[in-house]
Amino acid sequence: MNLKRYLWILGLLGVILVIAVPVVFFWPRTAPTSADPWVNVPEHAAHTNHTDIVQGPFASGQEVTQRCLACHEHAAEGLMHTVHWTWESEPVAVPGHEDVVMGIGKTNLINNFCIAATGNERTCMTCHAGYGWGEEGAFNFENDLNVDCLACHADTALYAKGEYGNPAEGVDLVAAAQSVRNPGRDNCGKCHFDGGGGNNVKHGDLDESLLFPSENLDVHMGRYDFLCTDCHKTNDHLITGRMLSVSVDDEHQVACTDCHNADLHQDERINAHVATVACQTCHIPAIATKNPTKLTWDWSTAGQDLPEDHYTFLKIKGNFLYDKDVQPEYLWYDGGAAYRYLMGDPLAAAGPTLLNPPSGAIDEPKARIFPFKIHRAKQPYDTVNNYLLPPLTAGEGGLWQTFDWPSALELGAEANGLDFSGEFDFAETWMYWPTTHMVQPKENALQCESCHGKNGVMDWEALGYPGDPIEWGGRDAVQ
Amino acid sequence: MRGQPFVRLVSSGLLLMLALAAVLLGSGQATAQSTAETAGPLSPLHPVFALLDAEGRNVLESGAPVSTMQTCGVCHNTGFIASHSFHADLGLSSMTAPGQTASGRAWDTSNGLFGRWDPLTYRYLTPAGDERLDLSTAEWLQVLGARVAGGGPATTSRNGAPLTSLTPDATNPETALLAADGIVAAWDWKRSGVAEMDCFLCHLDQPDHAARTAALAAGDFGWANTATLAATGIVTASASGWVWNPQAFAPDGALLPAYVRVQDPTNANCAQCHGLVHTDAATPLTLAGCDLADPQTATTGQVISGQKISASGVNVAGKDALNRAWDIHAERQLACTDCHYSLNNPIHAQESDATRPSHLVYDPRRLDLGAYLERPDHNLARGQSAQYTVAPEFKGTMRRCESCHTAESHNSWLPYVDRHMAVLSCESCHVPHLYAPAIESVDWTVLNAAGRSVVSCRGAETPTSGVDTLIEGFTPVLLLRDNIDGGQQLAPYNLISAWYWIYDDANGATRPAPLADLQAAWFENGVYAPELMAIFDADGNGALDATELRLDSDVKTAAVATRLAAQGLGNPRIAGEIQPYSINHNVARGAWATRDCQTCHHDDAALSQPLHLAGFLPGGVVPTLVNDANVGSSGSVQQGEDGAVYFQPGLAEAGVYIFGRNRIAWVDWLGLALFFGVLAAVSLHAGLRAFMAWRHPRPKPELHPVYMYDAYERFWHWLQTIAIILLIFTGLVIHRPDVLGMFSFRYMVWLHNMLALILLVNAALSLFYHLTSGAIQQFIPRPYGFFDQAILQTKYYLYHIFKGGPHPLEKTRTQKLNPLQQVTYFGLLNVLLPLQIITGGLMWGVQQWPQVAQMLGGLPLLAPVHTLVAWLFATFIVAHVYLTTTGPTVLTDIKAMLTGWEDVEVHPHIEERAEHV
Repeated sequence: MNLKRYLWILGLLGVILVIAVPVVFFWPRTAPTSADPWVNVPEHAAHTNHTDIVQGPFASGQEVTQRCLACHEHAAEGLMHTVHWTWESEPVAVPGHEDVVMGIGKTNLINNFCIAATGNERTCMTCHAGYGWGEEGAFNFENDLNVDCLACHADTALYAKGEYGNPAEGVDLVAAAQSVRNPGRDNCGKCHFDGGGGNNVKHGDLDESLLFPSENLDVHMGRYDFLCTDCHKTNDHLITGRMLSVSVDDEHQVACTDCHNADLHQDERINAHVATVACQTCHIPAIATKNPTKLTWDWSTAGQDLPEDHYTFLKIKGNFLYDKDVQPEYLWYDGGAAYRYLMGDPLAAAGPTLLNPPSGAIDEPKARIFPFKIHRAKQPYDTVNNYLLPPLTAGEGGLWQTFDWPSALELGAEANGLDFSGEFDFAETWMYWPTTHMVQPKENALQCESCHGKNGVMDWEALGYPGDPIEWGGRDAVQ
Repeated sequence: MRGQPFVRLVSSGLLLMLALAAVLLGSGQATAQSTAETAGPLSPLHPVFALLDAEGRNVLESGAPVSTMQTCGVCHNTGFIASHSFHADLGLSSMTAPGQTASGRAWDTSNGLFGRWDPLTYRYLTPAGDERLDLSTAEWLQVLGARVAGGGPATTSRNGAPLTSLTPDATNPETALLAADGIVAAWDWKRSGVAEMDCFLCHLDQPDHAARTAALAAGDFGWANTATLAATGIVTASASGWVWNPQAFAPDGALLPAYVRVQDPTNANCAQCHGLVHTDAATPLTLAGCDLADPQTATTGQVISGQKISASGVNVAGKDALNRAWDIHAERQLACTDCHYSLNNPIHAQESDATRPSHLVYDPRRLDLGAYLERPDHNLARGQSAQYTVAPEFKGTMRRCESCHTAESHNSWLPYVDRHMAVLSCESCHVPHLYAPAIESVDWTVLNAAGRSVVSCRGAETPTSGVDTLIEGFTPVLLLRDNIDGGQQLAPYNLISAWYWIYDDANGATRPAPLADLQAAWFENGVYAPELMAIFDADGNGALDATELRLDSDVKTAAVATRLAAQGLGNPRIAGEIQPYSINHNVARGAWATRDCQTCHHDDAALSQPLHLAGFLPGGVVPTLVNDANVGSSGSVQQGEDGAVYFQPGLAEAGVYIFGRNRIAWVDWLGLALFFGVLAAVSLHAGLRAFMAWRHPRPKPELHPVYMYDAYERFWHWLQTIAIILLIFTGLVIHRPDVLGMFSFRYMVWLHNMLALILLVNAALSLFYHLTSGAIQQFIPRPYGFFDQAILQTKYYLYHIFKGGPHPLEKTRTQKLNPLQQVTYFGLLNVLLPLQIITGGLMWGVQQWPQVAQMLGGLPLLAPVHTLVAWLFATFIVAHVYLTTTGPTVLTDIKAMLTGWEDVEVHPHIEERAEHV
């Protein structure tokens, strides 16, 4: 009876349920919003201050590394499995070549800028994550003490690398070692901003302006203060991200869709573009918006005594063209390479030799229209053997000391195991740089008319369309 | 094909660079980059052709002006085209005697640019037989040439004869010209030539509109179409006139292919006459506010451009946040002609709804393409704008928003989609704001120092300058548009008010005061007449500023009237009119459209905001809407305390009832009075009871528990209680969102509907229960002894209750209700509840079955009834809750409704009763 007195509460609950259940069940819901991209952004724990932990003195970089490894036992081991150390991939099938190649990378590939690293270790290895390089073959890849922890972890105001990958003259190694922390934009930028020999020379979308970016330069870094490693997620020193300049596939690649839903646009029409157009195409309308990037490089005039100017001619390098606010060139791109020029490959039968043309075509569903910086150069080749010749430049007796092409080429060919006939000339080579950094906020993205209609920037017929898809239909209609 | 920036750099580089680049660029690999040569809208099919003069000779031989009718007429039926084009006709074919047009103006002679007087351009096309000449046909063409496509009145007289067949005659307005000195001279059309319909103007990629306009203004009509070619290189201007360039022609006399720049009309072609169009994404758009050179922009603020407002060069307030295109359709690469297509274009043609059988969605029988190219109908599909009245037979021929778009995407958030779509045009929400200034008023009752009207602009700080003035833009006023199909929808408009002098001429006809006479009245020797200066120049500084140059006193008005009368104008007086301008372009997509319910469902709704017309009433004349606008029943002109004049939309008068905005005051006052009256009465009653109980404490009556309400009854009761209370609350939010703005209007509407459904089901189930269990009888008053008992009960409530007397009637399980309750509940459950359910249901049903609600008076009747009944419900709750406290103890009855067990007073005759049973 006592319990029964409280039955009414149950009844009242029932009444409320009768109202609440349909209300909650049928409550008008708006379409679920796109997944929160922040979920995928790593949170950075405060880094332990190492000032009191690390005590000197250190006579060399290796001694610093020894101190690091005392606590971080496996850190070097992890790094030594990455290309930041090996400068070479695992054995890989290279498009345009029949046999699997034992490994490609910065050690053995020809690029369109300073051409090749081997033989030029003295300066090139300034950007290797290791100490103790010498001339060809003198580096011990197995010695974990050669790992340069400071390059990525020290305050860049206190540390710099010098010749053969060793710490620069005058660096206070104790102060540098005490300053270690998670890598900042400045650490990555030391090498990646200045690739090719100067600020923004190579990429066009990576330069020192990213140290203090505005939101109109890079929405992630400028508006949200991202670090490189927020997108280039790192596991056991293996940093994700791939570049067509040295890789022929897109494994371990970083993608916008790692964080963003591809269909996040409020506009269905724009979402419909995502299968055909890479995010970068609209969200990176221009390359080198702040600092100019190198567009051409003619080595043939190197050594001549012409008026020098950083942006047009240097005696050691030849002629260049720089430009900023460059409109990208748009190509189909599936993340891989259609071909990769390897040391000793013959030149193209006609036209320029394309070092690393991207793969992809209108009829390949995975391929999307992607913005590229195409760098056009003229570099030396052996007219008898019909292949490109990497000159010795920074190395001992190289071009930059002698300004003598034949001897520089002789030395370079020797360092890279090539035969040099003695006859040489200069050939046009193109290199493709996918544009993927300096992403613009939606306010600055391309609009319909940027590509479509009378004033559009796309050459639809070159891309394989019969005409502007707004009138002729998309790639589905083309098949 | 190569990178443009690359090319650009090379051109600016050193010689050495050039040599290098030449090598580098010498070889080509196709990259996806456009070059100037591949771009271009030009027709791939159009053949080369010879330019012929009016006699059909090649212009290269004759040196005569080109004749479009002859040249294009070789392949196209130009006669058909010119006679099927309201752009050519401009009202010529509908000309009547003055005062017989739909506009209602006593002096209008047609519905188009040729004959329909426009206070913006002011000059009046004089009909035959008028006392004084204002615009002759020739001067009309000179003055308005920038907006005349040729053909129609530019080639043909009002009686249909060619203008060239008319004899020069200074007394005929078709063959005369009013010179600056006031002398009327004869006009010789044979000498001036006529302006044929100018195919080049709309079909070339680079027509020279300026050169053409200059030729027309000079009276050089015959050469106007030739001047249109000035930018093509086919013809060049020389001191002796236009000279054909032989380099443009092949030996056989036809144009070289490079000079055949014929194309479908682009937005830029239409822009020449209509308004601001900006197609170049790279160049920031700029505009000069309220410049009649762009009539559409000046009158409506519409800018046709795909450029983002934030990227434009216009100094728009808060533009950083305006990351949207000026016009979504321009952004999406639609051309004007995609909607305003040739009516027999086989791609777009559609039969009108009026004649199309309803079972036919699409008629595949199409005009042959060749036949279309020979005789393309140049009557273009058009909407139903208020301002363009020419060719009314083609109004509504255009595909509208809903022809291409579905309203489907609204379903996810907008309640009552169909209802909203029925009442609102798409533009009402999708053109929420215009970001360019538009003309607000034109005051011709005074003349500025330049001898023109005083124009005021809305949406800009200063109307004249383009780049530096801050532009706020304006929110258009929503007026009820009378659609061609007979329906009515709210649609956005700009209203342009105009004040001007009219007079009676010697024939007794009313005409607007000719500009020449106005100027003569205002100025003497090029400066304001001293007589007027003395009256107008309040601060005596010798100049008239905006506050002085206005007819805001009878003295000023009389002074100007006197001077006009001195010019021979009879009975000069001021008239005022309001011309609505439809706004259908500058559409914004969903995210930028109006989505906030309270934009309309609110006291301060934008919907009911008065639109500022002018700072004062010139001459005290209240302007009226022009007769031929399709927004006749929409509101009224009101003057504020500061003298400013506003247009107050009158939607309620037009039968539009908007929840949260419309309400009938007396219903709410009556409801409030009832509610608080009853509240006050029961408070008084309760106070008296408490006082008496304190003064005369009584022994507790003898009680015994009775199982009064079974579980279902209690469940039904409380479900109903909660539902009704929540319904009253949500209803209140919907009724007064201005007071309860913290609650989402949209969710409250939804919740109200859901609760109503629950209440309805609950009521239906309980009716079933009461009927089948027979408990319904309790609610039905019995005739026998009803009044006796009712009187007993009333006396109890009014008297005995204070004395602590026993309840006169005992409450039993089968007889719970006393007569007063029976009457109340009978009314509540049989009148109020059904009434509320029916009115509520019908209001909900305006979406599904609008005609049913319409039959019963529509929302303007249903909603106030629903509101009144809601007040009665609320009032009932007060009384009902209070009366539950009149049991043996204050909480006895409430406890009973919760537990079912009620402590009932033992009545002396209970046993007696029991025996009888």
